[in-house]
Amino acid sequence: MSQSGVTVGVGHAELMEASPYRMEKKKLGMWIFIVADACTFATFLFGYGYMRVGSQNWGTPFEFPTILNGIVMTFILLSSSLTMLAAVQATQAERKASAIKWLGLTMLLGTVFAVLHLREWFKMIGEGWRLFSNPTGGAAQFGATFFSVTGLHLAHVISGVIALLIIMRGYNRGRYDGSHVETTGLYWHFVDLVWMFVFPLMYLMNAR
Amino acid sequence: MSSNQEPRMGSYVGIVIGLMIIVGIEVILTYRHLPARTLLFSLLCLACVEAFLGIMYLMHVKYESPLLFWTVFPATLFVLVLLNYVWPDAYRMARMSLFK
Repeated sequence: MSQSGVTVGVGHAELMEASPYRMEKKKLGMWIFIVADACTFATFLFGYGYMRVGSQNWGTPFEFPTILNGIVMTFILLSSSLTMLAAVQATQAERKASAIKWLGLTMLLGTVFAVLHLREWFKMIGEGWRLFSNPTGGAAQFGATFFSVTGLHLAHVISGVIALLIIMRGYNRGRYDGSHVETTGLYWHFVDLVWMFVFPLMYLMNAR
Repeated sequence: MSSNQEPRMGSYVGIVIGLMIIVGIEVILTYRHLPARTLLFSLLCLACVEAFLGIMYLMHVKYESPLLFWTVFPATLFVLVLLNYVWPDAYRMARMSLFK
């Protein structure tokens, strides 16, 4: 295994050049995932735009209470980004208890967001909204685009809460370190930023 | 692993409050009942400002190697520009002609 004092096969990573990105592999991997996921969301939003432009009777069905619910959800998600940043800073300062507290608060805010979102969905379903049925008489594709775009985002929020739970437990037990929290934070901020496009396009553009 | 000079918590609070203010502006613009195209353009511009602030400061791209920015963003923008191929067909569907 060893020739001329150089060990080959085991533990030779340090002999290789440092990453030009000057970041850990898991963080770079998360960035690559984020780019791919951003393209997925963009495709869904372009699909919504295509349906909307191609329809002559799209309509603007959302009353103010629905918009207000969206505003509250937006503020909750933005606040959760702040608590996530606080958690990352606490891990960097090696304040474990504080990091756990902020991660727990981020999960709580994410859960509240998901509950408000599902409440809105169930209210709409109760009013007769379906994937291909519009109770207001407008374009039938409204339900399909609304539920698919917001559903994809909701799935990301719920996945994020589960990921945060796993990372928090691992960090508490010493299995994961601050870099894992930081990488999960990147995902959480991405989900937050996607909502900054979903909210105006799916809610505000459809406000009565 | 990010470089030094990362902002303090106070800066983050300022950025998040800024994002909330932009959301407030979006809602105000919506209820001024602007023409759909003007509203769409305004909302997209504001959303892009929010995304820029979020990516640069909350996601720390400003404090990472510039190589990350130049690897990730031109490629993503290229994909987003390519996605615009759908509009001529959307106009054709609605009006049975292009851009009339």
